[in-house]
Amino acid sequence: MHKIWAVIRREFVERVRTRAFLLSTILFPLFMAAMVVIPGFLMSRSTGTQRLAMVDATSDQLGQRMATSLSAARIGRGEAALPRYVVTRIPAADRAIAVRDSLLPMTGRSRKLEGFEGILVVTDSTVTQGKAEYFGANVASFDDMRELEQTIRPIVIGRRLEGLGVDLDQVMKSVQGIDLVTNKVADGKLTGESGAATFALAYAMGFILYFSLLIFGTQVMNSIVEEKNNRIVEILASSLTPFQMMLGKVVGVGLVALLQIGIWAGAATFFSANQAKILGALGIASSGAMPFTFPAMGPGLLIVFLVFFSLGFLLYAAMYAAVGAMSSTTQDAGQLQMPVMMFVLVGFFSVFALIRDPNGTAAHVLSFVPMLTPFVIPMRYSISPLPMVELLTAIAVTVLGLLAVVWVAARIYRVGILSYGKKASMRDMIRWIRTA
Amino acid sequence: MNGSVVKVEEVTKRFAGHTAVERLSIEVPGGGIFGLLGPNGAGKSTTIRMIMNIITPDEGRISVLGGISASRDLSSRIGYLPEERGLYKKMKVVDQLAFFGEAKGIPHRTARTKSGEWLARLGISDWAVKKVEDLSKGMQQKVQFIGALLHEPDLVILDEPFSGLDPVNSQVMKDVVVDLARQGKTILFSTHIMEQAEKMCDRIVIISRGRKVVDGTLAEVKRDFGGRHVALSFTRNADRAARVLADRSLVAKVDDYGATAEVELASPGDPDRLLHTLVQEQVGLARFEVVEASLQSIFIAKVGIEAATAPAKETVRA
Repeated sequence: MHKIWAVIRREFVERVRTRAFLLSTILFPLFMAAMVVIPGFLMSRSTGTQRLAMVDATSDQLGQRMATSLSAARIGRGEAALPRYVVTRIPAADRAIAVRDSLLPMTGRSRKLEGFEGILVVTDSTVTQGKAEYFGANVASFDDMRELEQTIRPIVIGRRLEGLGVDLDQVMKSVQGIDLVTNKVADGKLTGESGAATFALAYAMGFILYFSLLIFGTQVMNSIVEEKNNRIVEILASSLTPFQMMLGKVVGVGLVALLQIGIWAGAATFFSANQAKILGALGIASSGAMPFTFPAMGPGLLIVFLVFFSLGFLLYAAMYAAVGAMSSTTQDAGQLQMPVMMFVLVGFFSVFALIRDPNGTAAHVLSFVPMLTPFVIPMRYSISPLPMVELLTAIAVTVLGLLAVVWVAARIYRVGILSYGKKASMRDMIRWIRTA
Repeated sequence: MNGSVVKVEEVTKRFAGHTAVERLSIEVPGGGIFGLLGPNGAGKSTTIRMIMNIITPDEGRISVLGGISASRDLSSRIGYLPEERGLYKKMKVVDQLAFFGEAKGIPHRTARTKSGEWLARLGISDWAVKKVEDLSKGMQQKVQFIGALLHEPDLVILDEPFSGLDPVNSQVMKDVVVDLARQGKTILFSTHIMEQAEKMCDRIVIISRGRKVVDGTLAEVKRDFGGRHVALSFTRNADRAARVLADRSLVAKVDDYGATAEVELASPGDPDRLLHTLVQEQVGLARFEVVEASLQSIFIAKVGIEAATAPAKETVRA
């Protein structure tokens, strides 16, 4: 036991000390922060209030109404939201083109100068043929153009309906859709989460396991290949059992993974809780930023996640360890790890497949396939808590699978670590398992 | 310590296609320095690996320190320096040594203290907190050497401990080994450098192509090899000397180095007659000494041509 601790400590300390660990630990939250801050930053910079000249060649109230509607549009929500447009309506009767041409020289210039960002030309044909023209420097901005369209469209539609003698208000009322507000109830209690947040959480847990296996599983594999290559295994093998070597390494690397994920989750929670403050400190209106909420995890779910994450990590990392022991070079290992990777991928994608029907037959069956359980159970639990019996059975199945995998992996490991030169074939492997 | 510390009985090990070790029996008594000698590819490392239980013999039994096979439970009492040297390149020297100590079962703190002491003794204290990859090859070898001895084992097994060392470092390590023997530890080391073995070993075994060809204390081996040997050196008339030494009624065998030679007298040998003849021939004798056969000449005689045709070393050990 003492020896396993020595191996675990070595793996953990040496990994945490590396520059790579430090960089990835810091860079990831920075990247996340940038994702939150930059869109807000860009939005509050590029699309301030726009000065809009409206050349009104309509013969009725349409232009007037549009001007009113445009003036009412706001950037974002809330009391402090800035008006989206400052509209200057220029009645043009049938001289639309002449008026437009006279406005063009003062359009699309630097903001500091007098003038307009854009010219909107509306005529009677806007109603009859659904045509309006816009002239401006920002025509390439999909967001700007969509916003403009969406503001004037209801006015045009309303005008047409009036022509048909239909009351606009009644139409608006009758086409009003329904807004289904989702509120998650678990164990007879309101959790305060929406459906979307629950989905995001289920997905995130699957992703974390998937990501950790790909990154840290490969690390386990490569470090074993390295130990083989520099022959340090000879010294290790003379003092430690293969089982101690393998378990120590897998657990050590697993703890590094947990530490890193813990730091990231902590950073994400902090950002999500203090988003408004951080943005405020940077002088960005929070309304403009992408809303970022880190889904909260209840204590029950957290425990389930940690249990299955650990089991899953050990299960797969043991397989990666066996692959490492079978290989003499990292290239060999890269090829031999394909089957393991397939399992990881199947596990990850089963989360997507099952999330639509988390309590269906498929979900029930896959919950008890040891390789997939660590992916499926936390996802199902996050959507609706599972009965204790089911949870315990799933844990038992995974532990059994884990023991089987570790037993086989330790045998492969035992022979593999001391065989150099050639890549192990399937036949060799079976022989090792039987004779070791 | 009574009886044998390492007992190898009728052990055979085959690797795909060839037999690395064949019905080999070795007994290493407690205390002293035991040399496992043989040409390259003779099966020395394979034997040592089997003693260390890194690979298992196909046939035969091995017991170490009274237990069946060098089980890892005994690893705290055994120090092992493998032929293939490996260290964690990115680790600091002292961390690495502490880890090796812990792997052998001594507490972390003790391991650190001891590695500090050893680093000082071998004169590389300044490098304790450097990464292994920054060390020269000789220094890395010292670190490994310390790794094998840190936990004060009763039995120290060194596979080619002096290969690749310069004379100064070689001397330092030799002193450590001799000192350990003086403390009553048992040292089993393999080498193909006979001069070294001759100076250090109490007992030797010579193996060739996996088979034992010589076994015994150094004195026994020399006595059993028999013959009366004379070490000579002369300063002139080498051709005349050569003619005398070619006389089969005087000399049975010559190991000629030009200005010096080791000769085995023809039996019944008479050193006086040889001396007389050489003086008559005026070869300017600088040395004439009746000696025992050197280990080198015993080795050549016993291993002989076989050594030159040693089988290619097997790389796959499955």
